[in-house]
Amino acid sequence: MSDKELIIKSLQKVERRMRTNRLLREVAFGLCISLLIPVLFKVWDIFRPFGGRTVAIVLVLWVIGVAAYVGWKMSQKATLLEAAAAIDTRASLRDEIKSAYWFVTAANTPQRSTEWVELQVRRAARRASQLNIEQLYPRTIPRNSYFAAGLALLLIALNFAPFSQNHNWVLLQAAPAFSLTPLELKLINETKKLLKEAQKLDQPELVKQLEEIVENLQAGNIDPAEALKQLDDLRNQLAEGNLDMANINEGLDEMAKDLSGAPETKDVSEAMAEHDLKSTAEELKKLAEEAMDAKDARGMKALQDALNQAAESAKPGMQNLSKDMKAAADSLANQDSKAFQDAMKQAANDVQSLQQKMADQQAKNAASQDIQNLADSLRQRQQEQQAKAAQNAGQQGAAQQAQQGNQQGKEGQPNPDGQGDPNSGAQSGSARNDSSGGSQEGQQGQPGKAGDQAQAGAAGSGQNPSGAPQAPMNIMGAPTKLNVKLEQEKLAGENDGGTPQNLEEASKQERSKLDYRNIPSQLSPAQKDVLNQDKIPWEYKSLIKNYFQAIRPPRGK
Amino acid sequence: MSTAIDQQIETFQNQFKRIKDEVSKVIVGYEDIIDGVIMSLLAHGHVLLEGVPGLGKTKLVSTLSNVMHLKFSRIQFTPDLMPADITGTNVVQEGKHGEKLLQFQPGPIFANIVLADEVNRATPKTQSALLEAMEETTVSVGKRTFRLEEPFFVLATQNPLEQEGTYPLPEAQLDRFFMKLKVDYPTVDSLHTIMNRTTRVEEPQVNRIVDGAEILEMRKTIRAVPIARPVQDYAVRLMLATHPRPPHANATTMRYVRCGASPRGAQALVIGGKIRALLQNRVHVSCEDIRAVTYGALRHRVLLNFEGEAERLDTDTILKSILESTPEPK
Repeated sequence: MSDKELIIKSLQKVERRMRTNRLLREVAFGLCISLLIPVLFKVWDIFRPFGGRTVAIVLVLWVIGVAAYVGWKMSQKATLLEAAAAIDTRASLRDEIKSAYWFVTAANTPQRSTEWVELQVRRAARRASQLNIEQLYPRTIPRNSYFAAGLALLLIALNFAPFSQNHNWVLLQAAPAFSLTPLELKLINETKKLLKEAQKLDQPELVKQLEEIVENLQAGNIDPAEALKQLDDLRNQLAEGNLDMANINEGLDEMAKDLSGAPETKDVSEAMAEHDLKSTAEELKKLAEEAMDAKDARGMKALQDALNQAAESAKPGMQNLSKDMKAAADSLANQDSKAFQDAMKQAANDVQSLQQKMADQQAKNAASQDIQNLADSLRQRQQEQQAKAAQNAGQQGAAQQAQQGNQQGKEGQPNPDGQGDPNSGAQSGSARNDSSGGSQEGQQGQPGKAGDQAQAGAAGSGQNPSGAPQAPMNIMGAPTKLNVKLEQEKLAGENDGGTPQNLEEASKQERSKLDYRNIPSQLSPAQKDVLNQDKIPWEYKSLIKNYFQAIRPPRGK
Repeated sequence: MSTAIDQQIETFQNQFKRIKDEVSKVIVGYEDIIDGVIMSLLAHGHVLLEGVPGLGKTKLVSTLSNVMHLKFSRIQFTPDLMPADITGTNVVQEGKHGEKLLQFQPGPIFANIVLADEVNRATPKTQSALLEAMEETTVSVGKRTFRLEEPFFVLATQNPLEQEGTYPLPEAQLDRFFMKLKVDYPTVDSLHTIMNRTTRVEEPQVNRIVDGAEILEMRKTIRAVPIARPVQDYAVRLMLATHPRPPHANATTMRYVRCGASPRGAQALVIGGKIRALLQNRVHVSCEDIRAVTYGALRHRVLLNFEGEAERLDTDTILKSILESTPEPK
């Protein structure tokens, strides 16, 4: 091997080792810095969970960035001259290798072939062959790599930290696109439970539909508005085939009243009046066994009339019971005790069936109410977000326009007679309009004051109930805001060339995107229960019964 | 091949050491000054020694001349000294037959080693009489030009304190000096040695150990040392950094320097670096060699501007900042 080859080979070896050490050092440092990003992102995620898509995008971008950094660092190679300079410095060779490398590689050098140069190169080659690369450039693990490893472990540990809102990225878990509150989750669970009971009403698909809506909402496949729409559809499906509970209760009351006309059906009447259908069924069964025993003709006639009247008092949903009563009355007229017993037993069965239907209906009502509450909660959140966004946009716009108003108002102010430039006055007014949300007309020549007058209009001065004068009091309340958003409408049109083209513009019919039909209820679920159900509250039941019994006209009058 | 060069290097080192040892018999405590003077002699340059009176500047030069088999002359520069007093002049002489002849009478410049003592006391006109001799080793008198005998070496001294009645050397004159060496007070130990050597009955004697031919041979050896482009580039960048112009100048240079070193400065750096490399048994010049000779080679070539003069700035401060701001080649 010639001196030249020996020098170059040694320098290549040095360059590789330098590059490896530098790469380890710089990559470790880069990882230290870059790992702070996912760690901080994870800490943020613990307090405010991010959706799976956001997490995936951030982590993919991070990985790409780190890969690009590593690739960039790997592509950086030192020249052999730089390696020679480095080894000269490290081994205190006083530029011997660098000079020799320059002499053996530089072309057109007048001194290249002199004996002195050859001697210098020979000495440098001998020195290069004696260099201990392992000692000069030992393989070391950069200190930063420990820090980077610590950050990586911290990142993994954070994923397994037992926080309520923590999602384990390692196990490919992330927060849903739309997170439900604990109250909403409770409502969903209750609704599912109630709907499972409603499966007996031949609507088993409702639970599945509700689960799909919730899953799609959480996965971000549908937005809250679409979820609300689907929940409304679900409620409509649930409302199909509803029993008219009020009507049935009214029918039971009337039937009880009719049955009270005969002594044999008094127990049935009382049970029915209390809407205790289980007791009613039992009493009907007893009546089936006992009614035909030793009855006189007058008693039989009273029972027959009571049954006939009861059959006629039946409401929709009680047709079977009505037929049974009618059949029982007919069997009494025919002196057919067997038919009477069968009819009464059938009536008892129909009452039991009606009881089951009413219980199912109550479950459906509760489920429907829960769905409504869920929809209300979602709608409220959605409107709060929209209001917040509109408020932010309004504040920014007001600030900008108020600034413009100030500038233009100042331009109009020097006019001594107070009649400034109408344009500047209008600008001033528009600034106040936006900041207050109402419509005020600006005064000409007055400099704009961002929102000052709007605040004054919202909080007026007046007298409090005690009549204390000069006491500031908010007598007008907060200004009403109408965040009107016109719906984008697709119009079929043509461009200049006659090619069909769909246009999107705000609807000329000015159809608002805000659904006024779904105004959120301000009532609590307990209040809604009271309003939506006909049942008398338990604690008032005896009181009301006594009241009506007291005012009941005496029998026979 | 390499054996011959190694032998050449060894001879150089030995002769340098012998000269230095002989001079050191008389001159104590000025190792760097002695090295600088010998290096200037071997580099075919001249030396300007600056120091207060009594520090042995003249003694150093006379001792050096005694060590060598060379012709030595001393010129004491005074305000009334004329150029002809240095170069020599044509004098009227009577021939064998009684005729009158103009015959050139060589001045003290016609020597191998010339001591120009207190050179700044002579007028610029007289100082300029040295210019041709120092650069071209010739002396022109009338219509005739005389070549001086090699080796030709001028050692000038000047006193930095006494400025009354002195004439600062012009830039062109300064640039002719290979090095400017500052002679400072010796240390206590050195002073004790000086006392011991100079206050006894017998004074130290030096031997003549080299002659002119050997000096010339040593000069050839120096010139043969190769220098790589990156190292030479470092010397060039150092020289360029003394100029108050971008891109090489640093902030200090830009602020305080009026004029920087000429290419002679870069030559001095390279030659000085080669000598230092040889003395350390190397056949290549390193950046460290260049740095080592930077102060001596460039300090008299950097001219301060008014602001630098007003702040009594030393050119060594400028050179220090340049050395710090100029990176070595990678």
